[in-house]
Amino acid sequence: MGIFKAISGGLGTTFRKPRLVVILYVVNLAFALAAAAPFLAIVQKELGHSLAGLSVQPVDPMWIGEAVLGYGRAFPALLAGFVVLGLLYLVLHVFLNGGIVGRLLDREAPASLAAFSADCGRLFWRYVRLFLLSLVFYALTLGVVLKLVSVLFRPISDGAVTEWTPLILSNIHLLIALLLLSVVHMIVDYARIAVVADEERRVLKALRHALTFLKARFFRAWALYLLLVLGTLAGAAVFYAVLKPLGAPGVGLVVAGFFWMQIYVVFRIWTRTLFIAAQAEFYRSHPY
Amino acid sequence: MTAKRTASFCLAALAALAVLPAAAAAQTPPAPVAGAPGLRYEIWVELDPAAKMLLGREEIVWTNPTRDAVPDMLLHLYWNAFKNEASAFMREAAAEAGDRAAVDPQDDGWGWIDVTDIRLADGSDLKPAFAYVNPDGPETAGDQTVARVLFPTPVRPGESVRLRIEFKAKAPRTVARSGYYKDSFFLGQWYPKPGVYEEGKGWNCHAYHRSSEFFADFADFVVHITVPKGYVVGSSGKAGESRADDSARTTTTTYRQAMVHDFAWMADPRYLKIERDFIADREVTASEYRETADLLGLPVEEVRLPDVKMTLLIAPEHKGQIERHFRALRAAIKYYGLWYGPYPYETVTMVDPPYRTGSGGMEYPTLFTAGTRVLANRDVLDPEGVIVHEFGHGYWYGLAANNEFEAAWLDEGFNTYSTGRVMARAYGPGAIPLVFKGIPLSSVLRVPKIFDFETSRVAAIHAVRTDPVTAWSWEFFDSMSYSMNVYMRAATLLGTLENLLGDPLWSRIMRTYHMRFRFRHPTKADFVAVVNEISGRDMTWFFDELLEGTQAFDYGVESLASVEVPARLRGVFDKDGAREVWTDEKIEVVEDAAAKSPGSGPPARSYRTTVALKRYGEARLGGDAKVEVVVRFADGSAETRTWDGRDRWTRLEFVKPVKAVSAQIDPRGVWLIDENLANNSRSTDGLRRNVVKLMTRFLFGVQCVLQFFGSWS
Repeated sequence: MGIFKAISGGLGTTFRKPRLVVILYVVNLAFALAAAAPFLAIVQKELGHSLAGLSVQPVDPMWIGEAVLGYGRAFPALLAGFVVLGLLYLVLHVFLNGGIVGRLLDREAPASLAAFSADCGRLFWRYVRLFLLSLVFYALTLGVVLKLVSVLFRPISDGAVTEWTPLILSNIHLLIALLLLSVVHMIVDYARIAVVADEERRVLKALRHALTFLKARFFRAWALYLLLVLGTLAGAAVFYAVLKPLGAPGVGLVVAGFFWMQIYVVFRIWTRTLFIAAQAEFYRSHPY
Repeated sequence: MTAKRTASFCLAALAALAVLPAAAAAQTPPAPVAGAPGLRYEIWVELDPAAKMLLGREEIVWTNPTRDAVPDMLLHLYWNAFKNEASAFMREAAAEAGDRAAVDPQDDGWGWIDVTDIRLADGSDLKPAFAYVNPDGPETAGDQTVARVLFPTPVRPGESVRLRIEFKAKAPRTVARSGYYKDSFFLGQWYPKPGVYEEGKGWNCHAYHRSSEFFADFADFVVHITVPKGYVVGSSGKAGESRADDSARTTTTTYRQAMVHDFAWMADPRYLKIERDFIADREVTASEYRETADLLGLPVEEVRLPDVKMTLLIAPEHKGQIERHFRALRAAIKYYGLWYGPYPYETVTMVDPPYRTGSGGMEYPTLFTAGTRVLANRDVLDPEGVIVHEFGHGYWYGLAANNEFEAAWLDEGFNTYSTGRVMARAYGPGAIPLVFKGIPLSSVLRVPKIFDFETSRVAAIHAVRTDPVTAWSWEFFDSMSYSMNVYMRAATLLGTLENLLGDPLWSRIMRTYHMRFRFRHPTKADFVAVVNEISGRDMTWFFDELLEGTQAFDYGVESLASVEVPARLRGVFDKDGAREVWTDEKIEVVEDAAAKSPGSGPPARSYRTTVALKRYGEARLGGDAKVEVVVRFADGSAETRTWDGRDRWTRLEFVKPVKAVSAQIDPRGVWLIDENLANNSRSTDGLRRNVVKLMTRFLFGVQCVLQFFGSWS
């Protein structure tokens, strides 16, 4: 199967199962509201009845400065709460991944909440193990490989005569980091898919399936992954282009801006399911 | 000029000031750059790029301008701050960072200066009477940045002493804006330099501290700089004769400058040197001259600007930004000149700091360093802001030469304030710099544009509780407190004072202060005296409370309520010897009856609006200062009152036929230093469009961050 056919198949699958996106969106919104609540309360308390609320901007250094001064002591606690919620969200996503992958790979069956929950529960511990394993990969990539690249670059950077040398090297370093991360992400995605597609209980074995699969067609698989990344970036570009005029004054535009942002959040969630669906199509078209 | 002549000049200037109206500015005409009265340097220096060394000979002629007999001289040897970890500079840097490597010159990067020989003109050897001293007390023991030399006989009032010094100096590897990187050199504070002798007090000559700059007397400099052939040199002063030595493969150029108190230079073989002229008649229109003259109450001739030769030394990779540099410099010469007084020197040299010499953003008389990046965003006014600021130091520090050790705010605060004014006038607000991996992102991400005074205010409100603005440089809690108080808080306070006194008074104060103390060493008391004199008000409280203090300034509206004034009051009343009881029911019956009676309309309603104002901060208003309060009502009317703000709170009452919709303290935004502007007003209606927008954007941001967390699952 070609990568475009895989994307097309993935698109079909995700469009047939919009409920998945709805579930993930609701979870995202609920967590976001919980995480943002203290900050929103501060905004309301400070600006809700102040004339400063007429002119405050979404990024307003003057007001941010005042808020930091007034609430600076509470910020570490608020930030800690935010990080805890973020980590909970991460764990919850490990749980939800079971439902996402399980339902997307079961092409014809509907993505009912019951089936989704059953998949979440059934695959949870396997995905937990896979998540822990992925941390090793991330650590190797970010900690070892990138460190090695830094060590190689340092003498050139240290001996630079102009800013261009470190600037270029630093950006090459970033590019390498992003490409390596995309590879790790892709490997983990295929391992998740292998767990379900191959009914594999042992995650190491699933990982081996994924690596063997990728070994045979690495560049095509990577091209598929990067194509999906490009699509996501294009979506982000459209989002920001439309958001700009929505930033103008006007109650209607504020409301429109809110909905546009939520549409973008839904888009991001949908692309997450598309990554899995398209890669699953690709994986299944080349049986292990 | 002798001490006697200096005194005569000052007396004449003061006499001139006394006979002119107090409210007119710049009564003293620009002082001609005729030559320093009491100090002359002639220096021969050769750069050895391979050894990173300077080999120098120096002749100093110092004339005692005081009535004291002076037995010695204290000399700054600034580069010894980088000699070892015993220096005050290194110790303070390490103590602040909690890490001895906070300033790490690496391997051969230590810098130092040795006086190898010191004699009087008659050949008397002073080296045996030469010793390092610690004028800032035993805490700086081990520091070698100040040396004392004892004269065989004291220098009597008006008498001159001629010293011949030989020195060797090793350039540090990029510390505190002096040093080298590869074959690039930026050389500031590189020669032995006397302190400032103060009558009755002795030498004012502090050690080089981590958070401190400099203080020196005005002098005439003649400096002969020898560098290897091919090196491009930028220097304080005006370049004179140049001669090549083919056998030594060197070039020696002589630079001269009168009436400056420091001399810096740079050398780099790759640099581009571009010269342009600031032609005053092209930059300033006749109407601008007229407006300025009217504002300052001066004849037009007195505000006219001279032409200035501008030189830019720039790295080849920044060639594309040459025009940006010159445009900013022209704006600075124009506005500083119009507002504070004409630039008195013939030249100004602007140096794009050599790569990795850490020398960006530093001022020296007639020379300063800027700073930019290869990828510079047009919306971010980075090189422009630095150029305007560092040129501005030519006024605040260069000309009005306060002691930067003891009152750094008098130049940094004044200049940060002035930079903000010039930038606002010449460019408007600038985008907040946002750079990732050297790539400018401000335009892409559309970060907000803000004025300098806004940035300063944010820093100021955070710094106020840590230190007074007027602390000595190295006595601030840390270098962050030093910067935020001395630069930002001082600038914010000057902005507040500007708002409080208004134009033209403020412009005249600044002009008068600058011109009166040009080529002198002003203090806080001098500035306060000028403010009081020109404004005709005693503003001393402002400085005592807000500069010397560490108390927050915050006035606000605590509450706003409008309640209907009842037509009748309830309760038991004595009437005609009887008792009358008024209850809700009885009032209702009476009002209904009145409403139904022929010819009467609905009863007239009135509302009592109560506004509670609070002083949340400890700092309070003083003198005749008051804070304004405006209350707006539903029918569009408004009432303004004032409050002297001495007490913790006050309550204002208004009875009107309509309810109030808002109350606002300081509606004109005079008190820039107020740390919470959100509590300056209160309105009766709730959530506002911009608040909702802020909340939705924040929620969206959180959603995206959570998605990022989720993407690692």
